[in-house]
Amino acid sequence: MKENPFLESLLRWQMLAEKYVDRREFLKTHVKGALLLAVGSCGLIPSRPLAAPGIPDIGIARGDPGPATRAAIGLLGGIKAFVKPGNKVVIKPNMSFAYDPDAATNTHPEVVRELVALCKEAGALKIRVLDHTLHREEPCIEGVRQACQIFNGDIVHALSKKDFYKAVHIQGGIKFKKTDVMKDALDADVLIAAPVAKTHSSTGVSLSMKGMMGLIWNRSIMHWRYDLSEAIVDLCTLLKPHLVVIDATNVLSTNGPGGPGKVLHMNTVIASRDMVAADAQAVHMFQWYGQRLEPRQVKHIRLAHERGLGRMDIQTLTKKKVEA
Amino acid sequence: MPFQRVIQALSFAFFIVLMLLAAFPLISPIPVDLFLRLDPVIFLGTWLSARAAVTSLLLAAIILALTAALGRFFCSTICPMGTTIDLTDRLILSKGKGKRRPRALPRSLKTIKYQILLFILGAALVGVSFVFLASPISLITRFYGLIIYPFASFLGDVGLSMIRPVARYLDIPALAYAVVATPRFALQWFTVFLFIGIFACAIISPRFWCRYLCPAGAFFALLSLKPLMRRKVSQRCNSCGLCQQNCPMDAIPEDPFMTDYSECIVCETCVRICPAKAVVFTGPNLKTDRPVNIFSQERRALICSGLSGVAAAIITLTCLNHFTGGNSPGKITDPSVIRPPGALPEDEFLARCIRCGECMKACPTNTLQPVGMRAGFAALLSPVITPRRGPCEPLCNVCGQVCPTGALRPLEPEEKIWAKVGTAYVLRHKCLAWEFGHECLICDEVCPFDAVKLKKVSGVHVVVPFVNENKCNGCGFCEYYCPVQAQSAIVVEPMNALRLTKGSYRKKGQELGLSFQTGPKDRHVPAVKGPQPPLESKNAASKGDLPPGFTE
Repeated sequence: MKENPFLESLLRWQMLAEKYVDRREFLKTHVKGALLLAVGSCGLIPSRPLAAPGIPDIGIARGDPGPATRAAIGLLGGIKAFVKPGNKVVIKPNMSFAYDPDAATNTHPEVVRELVALCKEAGALKIRVLDHTLHREEPCIEGVRQACQIFNGDIVHALSKKDFYKAVHIQGGIKFKKTDVMKDALDADVLIAAPVAKTHSSTGVSLSMKGMMGLIWNRSIMHWRYDLSEAIVDLCTLLKPHLVVIDATNVLSTNGPGGPGKVLHMNTVIASRDMVAADAQAVHMFQWYGQRLEPRQVKHIRLAHERGLGRMDIQTLTKKKVEA
Repeated sequence: MPFQRVIQALSFAFFIVLMLLAAFPLISPIPVDLFLRLDPVIFLGTWLSARAAVTSLLLAAIILALTAALGRFFCSTICPMGTTIDLTDRLILSKGKGKRRPRALPRSLKTIKYQILLFILGAALVGVSFVFLASPISLITRFYGLIIYPFASFLGDVGLSMIRPVARYLDIPALAYAVVATPRFALQWFTVFLFIGIFACAIISPRFWCRYLCPAGAFFALLSLKPLMRRKVSQRCNSCGLCQQNCPMDAIPEDPFMTDYSECIVCETCVRICPAKAVVFTGPNLKTDRPVNIFSQERRALICSGLSGVAAAIITLTCLNHFTGGNSPGKITDPSVIRPPGALPEDEFLARCIRCGECMKACPTNTLQPVGMRAGFAALLSPVITPRRGPCEPLCNVCGQVCPTGALRPLEPEEKIWAKVGTAYVLRHKCLAWEFGHECLICDEVCPFDAVKLKKVSGVHVVVPFVNENKCNGCGFCEYYCPVQAQSAIVVEPMNALRLTKGSYRKKGQELGLSFQTGPKDRHVPAVKGPQPPLESKNAASKGDLPPGFTE
């Protein structure tokens, strides 16, 4: 029974792929799209605001990892609201540890696979699932790589060499102003953060904001030269994902980020355009060390809110829930 | 190509393939240390110095038996050192082909190799292994594993980074993301200079090492005084002297009908070069064969060599840094000498380790490095864990699997986890949390054994790390990842390392109250299914009992 969601998404994706094999069909879609855009820009069709009316700030889906991912993004208007045909997409899951999905230290491979499938459906040209792993690369990315083997192409990579990174200025940074970022992430049209929900011994939680540290080369400097939480917010002014999908199917509720700790089987996926809101929602929703904590109690979330990176006042944000 | 050259090339290729396969994960069905197990110096030297019948080395006995029948075939066909010297000889001498030097060296030089052999065996009698100084296979393994392999990796990586932009442009991920990890090793020049010397001797004579210095060659020579396969010269010989000039081993004396069998490596160069086709290799004719007697006069020199070995060993034993196992007052142990998991107790380990570098070549994190004189001369070039370079991977057990002499025990992964190599401790005056009040705690994050515990202490507003020594395996993840510059703020020392000659590490560890858990399987904590469990404390936590990392 467990394979069902995965097979379903595979089939769906294959059908779409077959459709695109027909080049004429493909061209037609493109021409249509271009026409619509042209018309839209002429003002004949009002251009859509960032989030259309009726689209919530936060989408929450309950279910198995794959279907819940699809459903949560569905609440935000579907993947096509984020990924356009021909886009280059970088998906940044948490693949820092060489442990099973059950340990909740890494993003569940089925969440990542569903994201890749969705991006394929939306017609993404190039999809990369990337991380700068903490432990030795291969065993860390093995799970996600296996899950993504159903797609043609070499998608999942751990980049542990400085050549893959490029020095950039962090315009919005207050103290942390320069770093080396993955070239792929800089080149990407769409950045999707797909962290797992877990505790973190020094930053409280490790969610989408903390996860952006997996896109840069030198993370240790964030610890020893700066205040880690402040540096995370500085970094997030540069690396702002277009879509955040938090895998809370398994939540590492204690002893994160490496575990082993108490894993809560929450079957939940949270999606948002706002990384601060997504992280805040996750903090609010789950127990951490058997306690209820507020988003403001996570320093980097509070600082990001104060600096206008996003909103942690989830009570005032619109939410939609769905069972997948 | 002559048959001998074909076999030599195949054997060398096999050596290189096995060297490449000495890596984690270990997939080779054939022991990757095969060639090391064929070396008689390693065999006899280790048996003597370790006072143990190391069965894995018995393969060398087969080679020795074959040598008695076939002569020194090992040198001309199997030995990768001989092949390498053949190659470098050719490179170095290629210009002067016409004017190959006459044999001007006195024959007595050939006894040097016996002296080296006896020196090693003399030291081995005292229990000190000097095998690493001259065993040809140990030397050549170290050369290819610790010098040539990093060299080639470096070039490979340069090549990849040159084509990477193209691969990125053409979107070929397999190439665009490919990297070659370049290992780095300490004390390369010790080995490099030795080999420059060995190779440069081509100027003096071909196969200089094999003729005059190789202790394994000496061993083979002793057994091939009267081999069953012998060089025979028929009456067609016109005494042109070509065979004498071209013999790489200088095994043909003034009289071309005679042969110094102990020097002959059965390469059959003489057969191929003879214009009269007068030379063949056949069985012995006991009536007419007159073997050349080699060392009747040098007995005194040979005894001296053996005694020098004994003396050198005793000097080594009286070195301040030499491990005495508590037999001598004082506790001189260098804190940086962390032995690989499964290393025998230090004295037994040193008696067995032949410094071939196979474990260091195979180590996936490059943490195993040859050590200098920090642990005394007897420990020169032996492997140590160097956490600042890389941690010891908990799930990897490759170093013990590739060790030819059992100096590192071959442990199954679940046993290896229990082979504690040391204990970490926090240097509070350098720690970002303890001393500077930063949120950091990478040591806790990376510890595969969950041995770093965070506690609140008064006077510091962030949680600070403590090491639970019973859970600390000494793997060095904390020291490797510690972001503090220069000296890490958490350091592993070989404190409380488990060193067992035999028996189960798990049993012993449990007996001592240790507790090691890692890996995806045994670190699994059962998930809490269904709704969230009841809250441990109802309201948003107050300042006193906030979980680590959260703020008020």
